[in-house]
Amino acid sequence: MSTQRPRRAVVTGIGVVAPNGLRSDAYWKSVREGLGVLDRITREGCAHLPLKVAGQVEGFDASALIDERFLVQTDRFTHYAMAAASLALDEAGLGHDEGPEEPFSIGVVTAAGSGGGEFGQRELQKLWGQGSKFVGPYQSIAWFYAASTGQISIRHGFKGPCGVVASDEAGGLDSRARRPRRPARHPRGRRRGGGGALAPYSMVCQLGYPELSTVDDPDRAYRPFTAKACGFVPAEGGAMLVVEDETSALDRGVAPRATIAGHGATFTGASRWQESREGLARAIRVALDEADCAPEEIDVVFPDALGVPEADRAEALALADALGAHARRVPVTAPKTGYGRAYCGHPYWTPRPPCSPWNTAWCPHPNVFDIDCDLDVVMSAARPAELRTALVLSRGLMGSNAALVVRRGGGLAR
Amino acid sequence: MITTGLTFGELATLMKHSAGVTVDPAQLEETPETPFNELGVDSLGLLGIVGELENRHGVSLPTDAERCKTPAEFIALVNNALAGV
Repeated sequence: MSTQRPRRAVVTGIGVVAPNGLRSDAYWKSVREGLGVLDRITREGCAHLPLKVAGQVEGFDASALIDERFLVQTDRFTHYAMAAASLALDEAGLGHDEGPEEPFSIGVVTAAGSGGGEFGQRELQKLWGQGSKFVGPYQSIAWFYAASTGQISIRHGFKGPCGVVASDEAGGLDSRARRPRRPARHPRGRRRGGGGALAPYSMVCQLGYPELSTVDDPDRAYRPFTAKACGFVPAEGGAMLVVEDETSALDRGVAPRATIAGHGATFTGASRWQESREGLARAIRVALDEADCAPEEIDVVFPDALGVPEADRAEALALADALGAHARRVPVTAPKTGYGRAYCGHPYWTPRPPCSPWNTAWCPHPNVFDIDCDLDVVMSAARPAELRTALVLSRGLMGSNAALVVRRGGGLAR
Repeated sequence: MITTGLTFGELATLMKHSAGVTVDPAQLEETPETPFNELGVDSLGLLGIVGELENRHGVSLPTDAERCKTPAEFIALVNNALAGV
């Protein structure tokens, strides 16, 4: 193993567009209060589909944050990503109108499971309804899963290394862990699948997954770690983080909110949830090792919480395998039960609590009672606690497992 | 068949609809040599405008149409094509 540790990557800005909050402060407040916002799907064209409940973003005014040009040329999933990027850059003190001072030192990485489903559906309907000459040329880029990375880089003039990770929810963690390779300020992004997934086309694409919850009662549709678990409820939205080298943040006079201390990723195959135990345990061990972190130092776990009994059992066992006796003591909380699983977006929302008022609380788990596993799941009320180190877990429906260790503040300042 | 030519006002409307770029029609007519890329219309945006005009008039425009650099050049080319020149 290399003794040369990579440069310390810290989070200096967070932008959130979520069903339970359109800015990171609103998001955090909803999470802390355990607010449940899952509801019956109201988006046009979705009423006849078997998927009834989701976390929908309401009241999002894209034009307040994004030029009209980008609104016409891109899908809703890119609107969310661009809005979140803009909020994150402002928070990090990098939201300059005149463009970055060092464009080659800033790259954009997003995670996307699908692409611009809503835009794509509209243009495909023109194709079959009117003919190929009626398909607009922006279709060629708007529905591409890499569209958000490209458009954010164009909009802000970022010319460093860019990329997209496509591994469903795990991709969110994996993209955050891609480290700066040069004097870097790395806004990392993420986005979730399909036209804000809540377009008819993107919803239909999901229906083949047996893990999707089709329960029509918003309070009963997503209850991981219980005997009533019946799959996950999808959410739409996005989040972006500004991740940069700690010394560069301190040089700019910006205080790090959190340190990305360790990351591990493995693959165990699509829907093979029993096997994910071993993969997830390994990812956790790798992340702990990279963070130089003992299991006992973990103050809170944000689990994948897929809501599929076999997957939940595998996750609880993976935690026991990797954390030993500490797995039964450490509080486990999945705020996503209140707003849904946002594919690649979720891991970006999740670290928000550890990156924010750390001394506040572990968040309650909306709608989850009667825990059916050997974990200390935080239920009806938030618990006050001093949080220093969090473990965030994710799995992709196609078989990726990812673990991330996040520490409060920066290492140099700590 | 009588076809009406493309005006600066119509081009401004198409720029907004196809590329999301808002321009004042009077300004567009006054400085028709300002390149499309300075106005914020990229190659895909111009291609969309060409497609819209072709659908509207039921004709094929020459491939040079989508390579025009300025509104002046574009309007001249389109109007020549529509007039059957």
